[in-house]
Amino acid sequence: MNRIKTILTDPLVLAALSILVLLAMGEVLSPGFARGDQIIRLLVVSAILGMVAAGQSLVVIGGREGIDLSVGALISLGAVLAGNAMSGNDGGILPAILVAGGVTFVIGLINGLGVTLLRIPPLVMTLGMTGVVQGGLIVLSRGIPSGNAAPSLMGFVNRPLLLGLPGVLFLWALLGLGMWFLLRRTQLGYAIYAMGSNERAAVLTGLPVRLIRTLLYGLSGLLAGVTGVVVIGYTGNSFVSVGDQYVLPSVIAVVIGGISLAGGSGNYFGVMLGAIALTLLQSVLTTLQLEFWGRQLIFGAVLLLLMLLYGRTKQLRV
Amino acid sequence: MSAVAGFLRSRLWLVTLSALMALFVVNWILQPNLVTPNVLKSNLSVFLPVILVAIGQTYVVLGGDIDLSVGSIVALVNVVTVSVIAALGGGAGGVLGGIAAGLVVGIACGLLNGALVALLRFQAIVTTFATGIIFGGLALMVLPTAGLPVPAEYWRTYGSSPLGLPVVLWVLIAALVIVAVIAGRPFIKHLAAAGGQRAAAFQTGLKLAQIRILAYALCGLFAAFASLCLTGETASGDPLMGRTLALASISAVVLGGTALAGGSGSAFGSVLGALVLGMIGNVIFFAGLPFDYQTLIQGLITLLALAGGVLVARRN
Amino acid sequence: MPPVLEATGIAKHFGAVVALSNGSLSVGKGEVHALLGANGSGKSTLCKIIAGTVARDTGSLRLDGSEVSLRTPREAEARGIALFYQELSLVPQLSVADNIFLGHERTGAGGFLDARQLRADTDRLIARFASVAGTGFTADAPVSGLAPDQRQIVEILKVLARKPRLIIFDEATAALDRRQVELFFAILRELKAEGVSTIFISHRMDEIFEIADRITVMRNGATVASFASSETDRDAVVRSMVGDVGIRDRVERAVPPSSGAPRLKLKGASSRRVRDVSLTLRPGEILGLGGLQGQGQSALLQGLFGALPFASGTLEIDGRPVSIRKPADAVRTGLAYVSGDRGRDAALHGRSIFENIGSATMVREKLALVWPRHLRPRFEAAAAALNTKYAGMEAPIGSLSGGNQQKIFIARWLATDAPVLLLDDPTKGIDLAAKADFFALVRNLADKGTSIIFYASEDAELLSLCDRILVFNSGAVSAELAGASLDSFHLTNAAYGEVA
Repeated sequence: MNRIKTILTDPLVLAALSILVLLAMGEVLSPGFARGDQIIRLLVVSAILGMVAAGQSLVVIGGREGIDLSVGALISLGAVLAGNAMSGNDGGILPAILVAGGVTFVIGLINGLGVTLLRIPPLVMTLGMTGVVQGGLIVLSRGIPSGNAAPSLMGFVNRPLLLGLPGVLFLWALLGLGMWFLLRRTQLGYAIYAMGSNERAAVLTGLPVRLIRTLLYGLSGLLAGVTGVVVIGYTGNSFVSVGDQYVLPSVIAVVIGGISLAGGSGNYFGVMLGAIALTLLQSVLTTLQLEFWGRQLIFGAVLLLLMLLYGRTKQLRV
Repeated sequence: MSAVAGFLRSRLWLVTLSALMALFVVNWILQPNLVTPNVLKSNLSVFLPVILVAIGQTYVVLGGDIDLSVGSIVALVNVVTVSVIAALGGGAGGVLGGIAAGLVVGIACGLLNGALVALLRFQAIVTTFATGIIFGGLALMVLPTAGLPVPAEYWRTYGSSPLGLPVVLWVLIAALVIVAVIAGRPFIKHLAAAGGQRAAAFQTGLKLAQIRILAYALCGLFAAFASLCLTGETASGDPLMGRTLALASISAVVLGGTALAGGSGSAFGSVLGALVLGMIGNVIFFAGLPFDYQTLIQGLITLLALAGGVLVARRN
Repeated sequence: MPPVLEATGIAKHFGAVVALSNGSLSVGKGEVHALLGANGSGKSTLCKIIAGTVARDTGSLRLDGSEVSLRTPREAEARGIALFYQELSLVPQLSVADNIFLGHERTGAGGFLDARQLRADTDRLIARFASVAGTGFTADAPVSGLAPDQRQIVEILKVLARKPRLIIFDEATAALDRRQVELFFAILRELKAEGVSTIFISHRMDEIFEIADRITVMRNGATVASFASSETDRDAVVRSMVGDVGIRDRVERAVPPSSGAPRLKLKGASSRRVRDVSLTLRPGEILGLGGLQGQGQSALLQGLFGALPFASGTLEIDGRPVSIRKPADAVRTGLAYVSGDRGRDAALHGRSIFENIGSATMVREKLALVWPRHLRPRFEAAAAALNTKYAGMEAPIGSLSGGNQQKIFIARWLATDAPVLLLDDPTKGIDLAAKADFFALVRNLADKGTSIIFYASEDAELLSLCDRILVFNSGAVSAELAGASLDSFHLTNAAYGEVA
């Protein structure tokens, strides 16, 4: 009995169960919802969310109220930079990735320095950075068309590459393996869990906690920028607020995936399931023709509920 | 030299005040008609919502917490107020009923935040982030699209000048009186103790949960004030109103010398901080910078102010 | 007239640990009553029960002859009992005056703060201390800018401001210099004249004989003796604290420590809590740090490890000067630090045993990549050396008992083969069987040449393990015990000794 309870409250199992339930709900509400091509379409959307959520995961696991709210603006920045670098030419894809990833990596590092050196709370720092990046985007996109995706990139995201699956899904799977390797086979990965679990203990085993935390925000920026490149591949062209819609879902996907907002726990496979579950939820809500406010209420409530499960602070009286 | 530094450090608002005066002079040079009653009044009308929200935010931050939901509270109060006025038929009674409903909603939102954070021990930042989404969703539920005008009595009264002074100035004066009353009571010391050294406050026997919840309720109340003023300005309901107010209020609080970690600072300082933010906006506008650059500059200054404020407060 | 306070037969246990078995204390009106005892004798627990911060299991507590319950600090405060806190009770951001009257603000008409009254009251309190040379701070100075001794004075004033009838001063003079102690004693005498009673805990024996009317001694959770201070002397008091076990209970080392070149040499180390400490440590030596709790022993170990770096002093390891500014330096130099506060300093909560052991090894050996399959046998061997009981390397740390968890945190450093082991009260709160395993391991490591500095709050542990003991008092070494002087009489005597 106890064993069953443990299994059922395992975040991974919960996420997987919600995926099945949501698929069934969708199929009942609108027959054809769970058809193969529909599922692939949903997976592509999930992959985009999952890629941003990868960076978000690292920052959250690292602890100290880690969170990156600038990912939305950085996706937009990545998309706009990539669009301008490519302007519809396949030859521009590599420079696009380098420019988008490089710039967002540096901005992420600045976030990290604000958090570690100036000790600005991560949420405030990254929210403040959002304002700066959005301002920068307005300057960047003034008068110039925001650029177009290269045809190969669009094909990579939207058209089947192998086994009927688009390339972006393979990229996501590769990212999943990469995240596993980083977190489970490198010292950096072990260090991220250690500092998120107990920063003082991590320092007392000699880990350079500040350096690592700065790097985590850099990686989160980098992943957001690269996601921006995929986003422009998905939509064809970019606009300055294209990434805004990913901020909140990236946080929720992380939490659904079993990563405590207090840090030091969880893994990226859970987050991948979380991204799929959330995308399905959005899709079902759309099928239900629930209005925007209803979705917001449900998101907010889900977040509070997850806080109740994972995110409480310590009691003062021992 | 270090004596001067020490003196300034314990009176950070003096630094803010000097910055404000310098900005005012620059603004005056760029905009020669600044010091005319009408221009001053319209400036104050623009700054007032941020000032009010920043005052409320100060109490929460002083207690060691933060409220990211203030922007959504402003939106929710606005749509509730205009809807209640419309439902009551729009007369003087309707306007008063709407205002009362708005204030109740503001306080209720604050109480909910406070209860989640202080009683259920949720992290303040993420919790108010989540309740902000919920309040914003509720605002959209009450009023899905902008519109629904308020009766002319509302905005005419808001724009009028009883006893020779504009209503916006009266509102500011009233807010400052409330701030002064709060600043003169033991509550403010208890709040600073709760934010400064929670364990010490606990050991001294202070009722921490009660203190922190009250701070959130005050924050909700001031957000409601801000919303009622914005409603007088826009004369209609807008469920997306006040989106930038959370960050703006935090910036104003930090600029006004309140430590983000809690424990020290004052609401008067936040008023100055909000005025500085507003004047920076003015100077950027009148400096003839290309329009495209204004958001960027504003964002950069906000971020620099946050960084600088946190740094100075930590040296303190 | 009945005594102000009469405690009889008070008992309290925390889980399986008996903190107090039979605590008794009787304090008369206007009496300064010193409470003495070694670490863990139960004096702090008894005081906390009297102040209402800890609830007693059994026993009777009478104030002015009538039985009282005192379930919370508020209740005790309402009955005129105040406890002086060594730390944690001041808010650095608030002013001196605000801190002193926090929760008891002076208010005037309409519930507004009466700043003038507050200032006047504070000035009056400060004046009590300032009568000779001034305290160096004013009523509106922020506490964050005060030195430790000034903070301690503010804490004292905060207690006085509540106008209690019975004050418990737990180590109230720890941060004060001789002149300030005199001022504090002058206040105690004034309070005495006003009929206020005080319970006084101090680690300085001369102070106790200077100020106390009566002395009550506790040992192993029970009150063992009570003297009028005029009718006893230092030797008798120390003897009654120690009991009959004056002989040392030492297990001889199988391999004596090397007499060769020192492995570690520290000269003139000072920090906020350590004053001018020098020591040498030889290969295979177990050096003990003794004295009452909080006299700088932990601060010294944390200083060596870079967690609380020294402001001055030099360190040599194996004859080479080294600079340790942060724990990472210490780990790479081959130092290991085991804290008694596992939950705060060591446990990676929610992570596996593998991770909890592995973190130090990965840093020491600069492993970029981690192959659990290669590391696991090493970690298992380290855990086995301590007879650790666990389900497997992937089990979460929280699944182990306290004693087994602490074994894991020791195994963390065993796996690094660090030649110097710093043990900071490592057996706090672990069971006897685990302690025995731990002692056997420490001896075994020392026999193989590991150098160990061992701080324990229990004197018996120090005496049974150590080759030499440095006794700490107020951040400095007050005595070095070796050979024939390694017994509990000398240890207790030195712990209560005044530093020149």
